[in-house]
Amino acid sequence: MDLLTFSLHNVFALLQQMSVYLVIAYLFTKSPFFRSFHLRILHPRQLLLLYFVFSVFSILGTYFGLQVSDAIANTRAIGAVLAGIIGGPLLGGAVGLTAGLHRFALGGFTALSCGISTTVEGLLGGLVHIYLMRSYQQHRLLSPTVAFLTTLVAEVTQMVIILILSKPFDQAVALVRIIALPMILANSCGAAIFVSIIRDQRKMYDELSVTFSAKALKMAERTVAILGRGLDTETAQEVASVIWEETGVGAVAITDREKVLAFVGQGDDHHHIGTPISSSQVKMAIRENRIVYADGGKKKWRCSLSDGCPLGSVLSVPLRVDNELVGTINLFEPKNKLFLVTNRTLGEGITTLLSDQLLYGRYIEQKNLLTRAELKLAQAQVSPHFLFNALNTISAIIRNDADRARDLILHLSNFFRKNLKQTGDLATLEEELNHVQSYLVIEKARFEDRLQLEMDIDPQLMSIKLPVFTLQPIVENAIKHGISAMLGQGVIRLAVVRQPGRVLITVEDNAGNFIERGRKGLGLNIVEKRIKNLCGKDHGLEITCIPQEWTKIAITVPEGGCA
Amino acid sequence: MMIRALIVDDELHAREEMAALVQETGAIEVIGCCGNGIDALKLINKLRPEVLFLDVQMPVVDGFELLNMVTREIMPHVVFVTAYDQYSLKAFEEKTLDYLLKPVDPNRLAKTVAKLQQTIGENRSPVYQTEEIRRIPCLLGNRIKLIDLDEVEFIATTIAGVHAATADAEYFTEVTLKVLEERTQLFRCHKQYLVNLDGIGEIILLEAGLATIVTRSGKKIPVSRRYLKLIKKKLYI
Repeated sequence: MDLLTFSLHNVFALLQQMSVYLVIAYLFTKSPFFRSFHLRILHPRQLLLLYFVFSVFSILGTYFGLQVSDAIANTRAIGAVLAGIIGGPLLGGAVGLTAGLHRFALGGFTALSCGISTTVEGLLGGLVHIYLMRSYQQHRLLSPTVAFLTTLVAEVTQMVIILILSKPFDQAVALVRIIALPMILANSCGAAIFVSIIRDQRKMYDELSVTFSAKALKMAERTVAILGRGLDTETAQEVASVIWEETGVGAVAITDREKVLAFVGQGDDHHHIGTPISSSQVKMAIRENRIVYADGGKKKWRCSLSDGCPLGSVLSVPLRVDNELVGTINLFEPKNKLFLVTNRTLGEGITTLLSDQLLYGRYIEQKNLLTRAELKLAQAQVSPHFLFNALNTISAIIRNDADRARDLILHLSNFFRKNLKQTGDLATLEEELNHVQSYLVIEKARFEDRLQLEMDIDPQLMSIKLPVFTLQPIVENAIKHGISAMLGQGVIRLAVVRQPGRVLITVEDNAGNFIERGRKGLGLNIVEKRIKNLCGKDHGLEITCIPQEWTKIAITVPEGGCA
Repeated sequence: MMIRALIVDDELHAREEMAALVQETGAIEVIGCCGNGIDALKLINKLRPEVLFLDVQMPVVDGFELLNMVTREIMPHVVFVTAYDQYSLKAFEEKTLDYLLKPVDPNRLAKTVAKLQQTIGENRSPVYQTEEIRRIPCLLGNRIKLIDLDEVEFIATTIAGVHAATADAEYFTEVTLKVLEERTQLFRCHKQYLVNLDGIGEIILLEAGLATIVTRSGKKIPVSRRYLKLIKKKLYI
């Protein structure tokens, strides 16, 4: 008999057996257990499971083997070697011993040598495992090359063991001549293929989750600012378009509690924006405040508007803000297409994200309300002290100087009129100065010689805009906490100058009392907040003070004023 | 007899107006006007007014603080005058004789005057609850400096006036030694001296029951026989 031909025949026969074996391996990679285990950290329970799985593989290898003159040409080695590579010498040895004992029990003149060699092969795999771990090459645990070479060496070792232990020697030599080549090749290739199946499955899961995450992130990024403006037909339309483009579903609809706010995709010829919700699934989602899913299989979605509607399945997710249902997001697929699980997850996830954005939008709205309320507060803060002291001053001045008293009353009226009038958020510098002027004329009358005013205002800046009610509180602050607490002459300097890229407004007094008080009062806090809100975060209010010498409050606004 | 009044307000026109209104009543003579607490203390000590029309809000030393620094024996009746009832003046109504709101209504002032006349007629002297003084107002150029009691080593009275000594400076104050003895933790060691017990470096005992205190910064002040015993007791010597 031609030895080579026979061997080749054996190789093919073994490969054929091996295919069955690989199919089982493939099925294994589809099992939930395979998904859950992680190569680098194996818990005792997982090791035990792996032991069973590989032992079964190894024993199956024996059964699928070919009977060759009282011996079995087999693929038993794959299970033992791979167990060793993946799980270490303990696992490899245990699997090898189990399969070896099983083989030993089947008898034949190679029973002992095969039993021992399988154990040795498992341990050999384990040595490779240790080597790879020690040299930080964990990623090669699932390398087909490593599996191939290791199995190759293991099978050669087995042949040597058979030659040494099997009696009679002649028969052993004859056997090895027949089975050596097919078994070495078949086992090595089988191990390599087995490993690559495992690896590819792993990779597929990873890639799937990468695309999934990328999609989700992209959608999040594209929708992030939209719903901050609130939920209306305009924002809903934008969001629906993004979801439709990114998920690739048949159609996307967004509703509030009663009507359709947006519809994008197939069927938009008869699903009109602004019409009341017609779908029973969407209504159910709103009524029961839960996710409703009609997969198009058992539960079908049927369009209540048109029989010709191509859509056949729907996922309807409630949109909630602070646990209050405000609408739904709906993903549709046409009748001829399956509703992908990933799209279902994406749909649910994106709705949570959008709910958060709506909440954020509400927060912004409330913050704006707060800013407005703060303005009211700032205006209401006009101290009664100021009013009554002004009136007292006027009543004293009437005795000697009726004209001046009349003038003061006009300024007081102007001041209060400006305070009461609230038109929008911004005012020109000129309007602000006019307000301050009236205030200062009255304070000057109160303090007379104790208050001296110096102004340095760039006339070209008169028309720039500031948050309304910015200057007066600062000047008031300088007088109330600075000048009025001084015994000597107080000086207030008000300057508005242009600087590169900004306009600088400073109010300086020569009292230097700020450090003693140590913090901004409510009035200044409000001014600063409003500047930041209306002119940008880079602008604001800064206080510097040299005790007993001066306090300077500096405000910056953008070069062209606040928009 | 006209009631002698001092008007204290930091605003010029407010003082003028108050003075004019008060004089219009015909029952009160304005013997002085001033614009801050320190000047007021000086004038109270000097002129001994019977009544004080006192603005509550004043720079550095406000109306309440001023009253804390007036010696009990010469304490005038006090009428608080304020623009706004921020301090819940009603709570002080029992302590002070009366309060007026700016701008002052002459009819309301007339009632105050009637009350004043009655009180002074009955020779009732004002009793104000005073609080501990924590900072001593001292005049420094045209500023009032408030010296923390912790910094004060001793207070001395000389012909020139009362001065507070810290480790590195001395400041004149209008607050009397008696007031400071009553309303601070400073301890009397001599007819002319108060000492901060925390500021004592050493006590050198002399003959005839006298002693000298050396402060932490090395200044020497005398201890008289009468007060040495008390100081020893206070320091558990």
